[in-house]
Amino acid sequence: MTSKRARSGRARLRLPLWYVAAFIVSAIFLVPLGSMIVGSLRQPGLPPPRVIEWLPNPISLGNYVRVFQVIDLGRYILNTLVVEGLAVPVTLVVSSWAGFALSQLRNRLSQSIMAVTFLLLFLPETALWVSRFILYRWVGVIDTPFALAAPSIFGTTPIYMLIFYWTFRRVPDEIWEASHLDGAGALRAWWTLGVPAGRAAFAAVGVLTFFYYWREFTEPLLYIQTAQRYTLAVGLAYLEQLDPTNWPILLAGSVIVTAPLIVVFLVAQPFFLEPIERTGAPVTLSVAE
Amino acid sequence: MTAALVSTGPIGTNLYMRYRNQLLLMLAPFLLGLIVLVVLPATASLAVAFFNYTPLHPAGFTWDGLGQFSQLQADSQFWRALSNSLLYTLFSVPLRMVGILGLSLFLEKRRKGIGTVRAAAYLPTIIPDVAYALTWLWIVNPLFGPINQILRALHLPAQSWLIQPAGALGIVVGMSVWQIGEGVVITLAALRDVPQDLYDAALTDGAGWWMRLRALVLPLIAPTFLLLLFRTTIVSLQDNFAPSYILTHDNPTFLNYAIYFLPLKIYTEAFQNFRFSYAAAIIWVMYGVTALIVFFQYIATRRWSEAAYD
Repeated sequence: MTSKRARSGRARLRLPLWYVAAFIVSAIFLVPLGSMIVGSLRQPGLPPPRVIEWLPNPISLGNYVRVFQVIDLGRYILNTLVVEGLAVPVTLVVSSWAGFALSQLRNRLSQSIMAVTFLLLFLPETALWVSRFILYRWVGVIDTPFALAAPSIFGTTPIYMLIFYWTFRRVPDEIWEASHLDGAGALRAWWTLGVPAGRAAFAAVGVLTFFYYWREFTEPLLYIQTAQRYTLAVGLAYLEQLDPTNWPILLAGSVIVTAPLIVVFLVAQPFFLEPIERTGAPVTLSVAE
Repeated sequence: MTAALVSTGPIGTNLYMRYRNQLLLMLAPFLLGLIVLVVLPATASLAVAFFNYTPLHPAGFTWDGLGQFSQLQADSQFWRALSNSLLYTLFSVPLRMVGILGLSLFLEKRRKGIGTVRAAAYLPTIIPDVAYALTWLWIVNPLFGPINQILRALHLPAQSWLIQPAGALGIVVGMSVWQIGEGVVITLAALRDVPQDLYDAALTDGAGWWMRLRALVLPLIAPTFLLLLFRTTIVSLQDNFAPSYILTHDNPTFLNYAIYFLPLKIYTEAFQNFRFSYAAAIIWVMYGVTALIVFFQYIATRRWSEAAYD
């Protein structure tokens, strides 16, 4: 009897304990973002705090204005958006076409393409830096947004093609057959049936592609030479070189670079947190690359 | 679908051939792009290691055999970068894998508010590299940083991590441990696939938490988890350019090369010294070392992942 009561007492304790642990875990993972935001609100030139400073006193929003004066942040935002404007639509078209084609071409060829594509997911970009640089210079796109948006012509990363492949595989064959017997070509079938059926995949890949080019640091560092053409990520590194100890301004810049991603993430959470079969997107192998 | 269309006779076959060709055309941009921007560049990068190529004299490059590789031996920076990358991998990968497994088991529960906790755990993963590195530089800042604020509040001596090599390496490892959101999402998906009836059966058999984990859950998620292990290892060895670039302020000698890793070495050789061929030779070594380590991981864990199919 006593043991049973003890056990139910422990079970009653377990839930609150879990919530305490959940709170601590959340707090630990919020440390980077929290420190970034709090630090960005400090007034430059104040002495170091003596006690733990949860919020700076006074709170200074001026850093967000000043960072636009120290570097041409508005320009960098525009440059980044130009790359996004080129890369996101091209990625959506190329990867959905390829996923659409491979989901219907069920033969040896498509199987080997899938296998090679899967292997390419494990190829790190270090091997591509030098040869892409030579290639881009030869084509004449160095120092232009085209060099940065170039990966979109193969769908940015093969995982996006795979997302569409899995999505279109779930559409019953009879639907494609019906459209085919109506005399519709492959392109028409993609547009009239594939696009509506794969809406979730299009949204997911669109969001992930946006993240990819927004976060990309190495490629603009290598292929952009004029400061006026920097994207946000490189612009922030440039700010650090100009004024490496002006922390409030550096952190305000970091918040500006990060904020749009946080907003998109909070709105489109399922694309990141649900497994691929549900929404078409494990960010796996896609965001942090 | 294929079968149905082909069986509709000669006209159907024609129609199908046309449809098939259209499909191939839709596949073409993807394949061409992949060949031009991934397959050929990767091959060229590896081939250029056997020549003596520099963009400063693009026309006059000659076959160099293993000449570039023989220079590696005397390059103490290279050995430093290699040992740093190995050391980083040695600490980062086990910590991240344990973190991923622990956090996934914790977040697997269906509880009210679980979505918020998952989102919070994922947040560090989406912060862009430069902003993330700057934030950590701030967090460990000896005068202003939050960590030292806490240490001072506890009357402990404040620390300057970035003046000691071990501290700097520790920071880069720590940064990687916070960014485990993707691994957690993948592992959560694998955990969700553990059949509930097997789990219930184990419960009624009186299996405790540890027993269920070891005998049921771990073997079932092993294939996914091992793939994740291989990938985390590859990324640790080959993909930590941004943090080291920002933390060293683009100055490799920073802290006597304490956080000078292979990708940074490759970048320095290629884009500051313009020794493309030498950089390519280092890429070969990096790939070789990665392949060797992943191979040993595979051998060591093979029995474990095969057990899942018994």
